[in-house]
Amino acid sequence: MSTAKARTAHAKAILGPQLHDQLANTKVLLVGAGGIGCELLKNIVLTGFGHITLLDLDTIDLSNLNRQFLFRKKDVKQSKAIIAAQTAAPFNPNVRITPIHGNIKEPQYDIEWFQQFDIVLNALDNLDARRHVNKMCMAAQVPLVESGTAGYLGQVQPLLKDRTECFDCIPKPTPKTFPVCTIRSTPSQPIHCIVWSKSYLVGQLFGEDEDASGELDEAEQQGENAQEIATLRKEAQAFKAVRQALRTPGAGGADAAKLVFQKVFNADIKNLLIMTDMWRSRAPPVPLDFDTIVDGTFELRKDTGSAPAAFFAVNGVAKAQANGAEKANRSGNGNAVASGSKVPVEKEVPVAATTNGNGIGSNANGQAAPALKDQKALSLKDNLELFVASTTRLASRLQNGEESIAFDKDDDDTLDFVTAASNLRSAAYGIEGKTRWEVKEMAGNIIPAIATTNAIISGLIVLQALHLLRKSYNELRNVHLQFKPAVPLSTIKLSPPNQQCGVCRDTYASVLCDPVRATLGAVVKGIMGDDGREISVYEDQRVLSDPDWEDNFERTLESLNVTRGKFLTIVDEEGEVGTIAVGLGVLPPNHPYTEPPFILPSPLPKPPKKIKPAAIPLPETPQRTSLKRARSLDLQEDENGVIEIEPTPKKQKLESNKRKLNEDEQSPSKRRKLEKDGLLLMDGAQDNLEQEDFIVIDDD
Amino acid sequence: MPSEESQDIEQATTKIAPITEGQPDSKTRRYDRQLRLWAASGQSALESARLLVLSSSATSTSILKNLVLPGIGHFTILDDATATPEDAGNNFFLEGPSSIGKKRAEEAVRLLGELNDGVDGKADARNVEEVLAKGVEGEEWLKAHTLVIAHNLQQSTLDQLSDVLWKDEDAPPLVVVRSAGFLAEFYIQFHEHTIIESHSETSPSLRIDKPFPALLEYSLSLDFDNMDPTDHGHVPYVIILVRALEEWKKAHDGSPPSTYPEKQAFKKQILAMKHKQDEENFDEAEGQAYRCWTPTVVPSEIKALFSDPKLAALSATSPPFFYLLHALKRFVEEQPQHSLPLSNTLPDMKASTGAYIELQKMYKTRAEEEKSIFKSYLPADVEVDESMLDAFVKNVHAVKVMRGKQWGAVDKEPKTLANFIQTSPKQLAIHLALSALANLITKQQPNAPLTPTIESLTVEAQALLPSGTELPEEEWANAVGELARAPTADLPNTAALLGGLVAQEVIKMVTKQYVPIENYCVVDLIETWTGIL
Repeated sequence: MSTAKARTAHAKAILGPQLHDQLANTKVLLVGAGGIGCELLKNIVLTGFGHITLLDLDTIDLSNLNRQFLFRKKDVKQSKAIIAAQTAAPFNPNVRITPIHGNIKEPQYDIEWFQQFDIVLNALDNLDARRHVNKMCMAAQVPLVESGTAGYLGQVQPLLKDRTECFDCIPKPTPKTFPVCTIRSTPSQPIHCIVWSKSYLVGQLFGEDEDASGELDEAEQQGENAQEIATLRKEAQAFKAVRQALRTPGAGGADAAKLVFQKVFNADIKNLLIMTDMWRSRAPPVPLDFDTIVDGTFELRKDTGSAPAAFFAVNGVAKAQANGAEKANRSGNGNAVASGSKVPVEKEVPVAATTNGNGIGSNANGQAAPALKDQKALSLKDNLELFVASTTRLASRLQNGEESIAFDKDDDDTLDFVTAASNLRSAAYGIEGKTRWEVKEMAGNIIPAIATTNAIISGLIVLQALHLLRKSYNELRNVHLQFKPAVPLSTIKLSPPNQQCGVCRDTYASVLCDPVRATLGAVVKGIMGDDGREISVYEDQRVLSDPDWEDNFERTLESLNVTRGKFLTIVDEEGEVGTIAVGLGVLPPNHPYTEPPFILPSPLPKPPKKIKPAAIPLPETPQRTSLKRARSLDLQEDENGVIEIEPTPKKQKLESNKRKLNEDEQSPSKRRKLEKDGLLLMDGAQDNLEQEDFIVIDDD
Repeated sequence: MPSEESQDIEQATTKIAPITEGQPDSKTRRYDRQLRLWAASGQSALESARLLVLSSSATSTSILKNLVLPGIGHFTILDDATATPEDAGNNFFLEGPSSIGKKRAEEAVRLLGELNDGVDGKADARNVEEVLAKGVEGEEWLKAHTLVIAHNLQQSTLDQLSDVLWKDEDAPPLVVVRSAGFLAEFYIQFHEHTIIESHSETSPSLRIDKPFPALLEYSLSLDFDNMDPTDHGHVPYVIILVRALEEWKKAHDGSPPSTYPEKQAFKKQILAMKHKQDEENFDEAEGQAYRCWTPTVVPSEIKALFSDPKLAALSATSPPFFYLLHALKRFVEEQPQHSLPLSNTLPDMKASTGAYIELQKMYKTRAEEEKSIFKSYLPADVEVDESMLDAFVKNVHAVKVMRGKQWGAVDKEPKTLANFIQTSPKQLAIHLALSALANLITKQQPNAPLTPTIESLTVEAQALLPSGTELPEEEWANAVGELARAPTADLPNTAALLGGLVAQEVIKMVTKQYVPIENYCVVDLIETWTGIL
């Protein structure tokens, strides 16, 4: 047997000659070359996917090397996509890998670009990008396999428009936010001080020269205490002097650090104390003093180790008391108190709702010895010294030409700074301190990550991808890797799309245009054709027109900032017809100038009618169960630590309910009706389109 | 190879340098994400481990990759094979065509070594038959490892190896992995495995039904009626419950609520303590009220450990774990509260920071006291590491002793196998098919091409069952069909997935953290499920 033949013998035996030959011509987009991405790239190279485009915007960090096995120490700081492609390519000479060091959200990766791929595999770690790729795949009608891991937990989900749930069919938890005043003036938990330090203080001192008054304006508009806002505004303006000092050679170093210290931990706190009203129902902060901390004579609070009974007033008189509107959650995943404008805490939510949390809950914090160096508890003086040392380091970086420095959990100078600054603030406010190790996890939203989980998940991704390519839709499964030793994998049959989903229930179309010349009105009217119903047009959250306000119709798309890669959303005013989402692409280079500056899709998109709730004599109960089931499955590992055991009698029952329901739904009349609406895109008796009937149970 | 990452974990501990110079070394940074799962103690165990892997198949190297990356101390691949074109096509730890014709183990060790220069890897070009043939010398060599992994090892050799490692109770665990095409199973053979840090998801008792004196006293000292309104809304639920229960017992002859109406009345009593409707701490207390009538007892799994035969026969050579267990038994029997030592960890609850910290202090102080009482039950001449003692007390509600069986024992019990036809037909079918395939290979000429038919595999499977037993029709057809189709295929993707699963369990065994899978873990990647037999 020739070498080339022998190397594929196994794969061919298993996949069958047909699928195996198909793979050589398959074009796959792999988004992400991190933990999952490295494993996955290896698997698809060895399995024989012929054309692989690998995209990642990140560079390699030392902390990647415990799992991202395509990288070596010498590769640190290089592009992940490029190095991964270089390392993996030699393993299969028949495979072509095209690495892209870039962001998947850039406009050139538009619908047309996605449509060149037979399948997309997500190996991403942040919710924002995962949702974006999901939307693009729904718009381009390209099958997608979604995935995520956190510690020992992981999840794989195959997605196909109209056939399965999409990533957004189940709402994902929104990023945590805290009211701006909690962060700026009345922190009560360690996380508040950490957020203040990394999102506010680092930016004020080392970031670009911009005043952080925007969020204060917003807070003021929302009726926050005007005096407090005014004080905070003054505080922000006074950063000019210390910014200057940090950037001046000579004046930099320890002196500048002391200047910063005196401003933020002494003067600013004294200013807040002037507002006595604020401290009537909460413990006032204590201004810190640099020199006395250094010489060891500083007294933070008298009697902090007092007898427990002193904490609450035994006889009804409050002595030391607590911070007002506090809800405790000392693990750092603070419950946000909903008021005023919010400070976003994090962007990254690594795993779909499912695994987040569980893996962290079982982490090894506070383990028995031997403790690591940065798990050491820090005294007030330690923190002060760390503050001075890290400020000095950061200042010298500024003086040596770095224009601005932002928090990065893998940048030790900023991590040290955030550790020290948040602990000092905590001390001033009587909040417990955190070790550098804990601050890193909280500030960096660190999710534990190990090679084994990624290996398992990547194996599962390929299996689901093969099912999708082979169109064996009945074999598709949502797979969860769980904590339970008795059932490592739990597999769940796929749910149909959530009919309320604002992403995959839209009817997508693509318009190629020159936004400099094309007007909003021309494009919208072109898309609507002879359909004269009343509509509103949006781009993301912005309203561009409604039936009584069409002023923008005369304007060009570019003047409205609607350009390549963005979507125009056309919403039916009466809510009777589905939404059309029009993705904008570019005109082909040979498009004649004499023609209109856009090319409409053919045929024009025909969104389905929404069916009124009253019109459906529908088996409501099973449907609710099935929706609920989907939702609870997605949340279970996350919030309750309850893990699905497979197969449980209960679940079997639910599934048989669902099957039964599907059979009931297969009435010929219904199918004809759907076909008439132009909605039936698939064939096969088992397709889930019949679920369309459920659409409007909760329509509002 | 010496490098900055091969320093001992001790060097990265708090013993050194002030924090300002204490940026984590590059080793801590490399392992940051996993240290958050198994801590420095787990990492230290990994780094002292010596693994032996028999063969460098795609599956073996996939397993090893996931152990080299997190920094296993040392590994040896024992393999006399020469790399073939098939190997080059499915094994990522060969250098494609250029490895063909070279010693497979040497190529794999070299390429695996590139993943982590803190790991020491060795290729041994003998085969395991040679080692076993050396008698005692070979056996001692095998036993000098921490754990042995065997992938698709020939049945008779495997039996022999398993015997050697089973007859000595202190011999290393043996992980047996068998795979063909999309089907696989693995099994960990071990006599005894003790776990302190099981990372259990159940939390220890707060002892609200049996409050320790400081907690009770504090809770009774509060003047709820005249308390500042802000404070009142921030009394932690633990305090509320202790107080409410004490008052209830006073009115009910010292008994906690026991009947349903009583429990409802108790909950009402808690809510009646509210001053304002929106005091969430009282709502939380109501939700946690069950803690008042759930007596703090020693969990039955822990109680069962007290009759472990090892406790009756403690000797100088007994592992410290059993001394700790023995001390625990005495602590429970002799201390008046007859419960486990108090845990110093407090769950989150609605409370002000100050109140929470005060409560935490009370629990910590009491936990320290009970820990020293617990410690006094350890014989004076027994040395138990302080950190182990701390870990034991902290995790005492979920410590575990696992006892295993020899690999293959179930295949010698036709009746047990037959029972599985009823209870787990899918799992059984795959296990039987893999055993049948192994037996078939044993019977044919060495190196003859392997072309098992469905019929021949069925005959082998039937031979393992009581005569006349019917195989589960559909499940058997699926399993045997796959093996007949691809009896030798080591598909990279199956190898990758199996590599993750097996390495995960090896890490659990080596670190003695988390609970490993018991019995046969069966993997079906056609339908994508795993099961335990």
